[in-house]
Amino acid sequence: MNPKRCAACKYLRRRCPKDCIFSPYFPPSDPDKFACIHRIYGAGNVSKMLQQLPVQSRAEAVESLSFEAKCRVEDPVYGCVGMISLLQTQIQKTQTLLAKTQAEIAVAQAKHSQTQVNEFM
Amino acid sequence: MGGPGSSSPCASCKLLRRRCAKDCIFAPYFPPDDPHKFAIVHKVFGASNVSKMLQELPVHQRADAVNSLVFEANARVRDPVYGCVGAISYLQNQVSQLQMQLAVAQAEILCIQMQHEQPLQSHHQVLELDQEDKALLLNSNNINNCNNDNNNLGYAMSSGQFNSNFASPSSIMQMQMQMQMQDPLKQESLWT
Repeated sequence: MNPKRCAACKYLRRRCPKDCIFSPYFPPSDPDKFACIHRIYGAGNVSKMLQQLPVQSRAEAVESLSFEAKCRVEDPVYGCVGMISLLQTQIQKTQTLLAKTQAEIAVAQAKHSQTQVNEFM
Repeated sequence: MGGPGSSSPCASCKLLRRRCAKDCIFAPYFPPDDPHKFAIVHKVFGASNVSKMLQELPVHQRADAVNSLVFEANARVRDPVYGCVGAISYLQNQVSQLQMQLAVAQAEILCIQMQHEQPLQSHHQVLELDQEDKALLLNSNNINNCNNDNNNLGYAMSSGQFNSNFASPSSIMQMQMQMQMQDPLKQESLWT
């Protein structure tokens, strides 16, 4: 067996051809990356997805797939959708707090202006 | 598919062209009137992977799991490069910007409070955050947050359109860890 097989071909126990679609993105030094992606998406689906993308976009696609696969392994019910939900909640809370703080500023500024007017009169 | 007593096969078994068993794992979540739902999940994840994932979950969690898988699959079909990660990146930028605005507003409250505590001091000691200071603080935050890839994403979620600069998944995971470690929302106002 070719000792320089990519992580994908090592995992799938097959020969790693020169034009292997996985090899640029799954180096043998990181076997977990492919294992995780394969567990969630399957090698066939990932291969199809990559084939449908221009070469310059494939690295980013693999990274995002890897991220989503890791999220799904860590949270089998919600995956990365849980993170989206968390962020949306955080945005709502921060917006509420910001509105409250800005209202307090408006009240404080109004009081301050009134105080200054009273002092001059 | 059978006599008048039999129900129609679920969307999954229809697509996979197989008999829909009584205990079909997909049937509760992929009704026959919504074929697109299973089609998109099958396209991205594959029926056997979805089946395995559902089998590993308790029954009461499977509906939520299916919904999140459908969501992710839709995101991936709309954006084959970034999928859901594009939306996460956008939302994280939004959180950062809001937190910065909040910090500026809280600083302004503090300044006003200090003014109230020292009303008779010399004019030069009065601190004010004018529009220029606020803009400077907000701009420096924007530069930090936009120091990402230059790809612009058009991404539609149920709540609207997103344009996002994609941050690398490693930086997203770092932010996730930070979110878990600290409490970014300081709920108490400086007035209390």
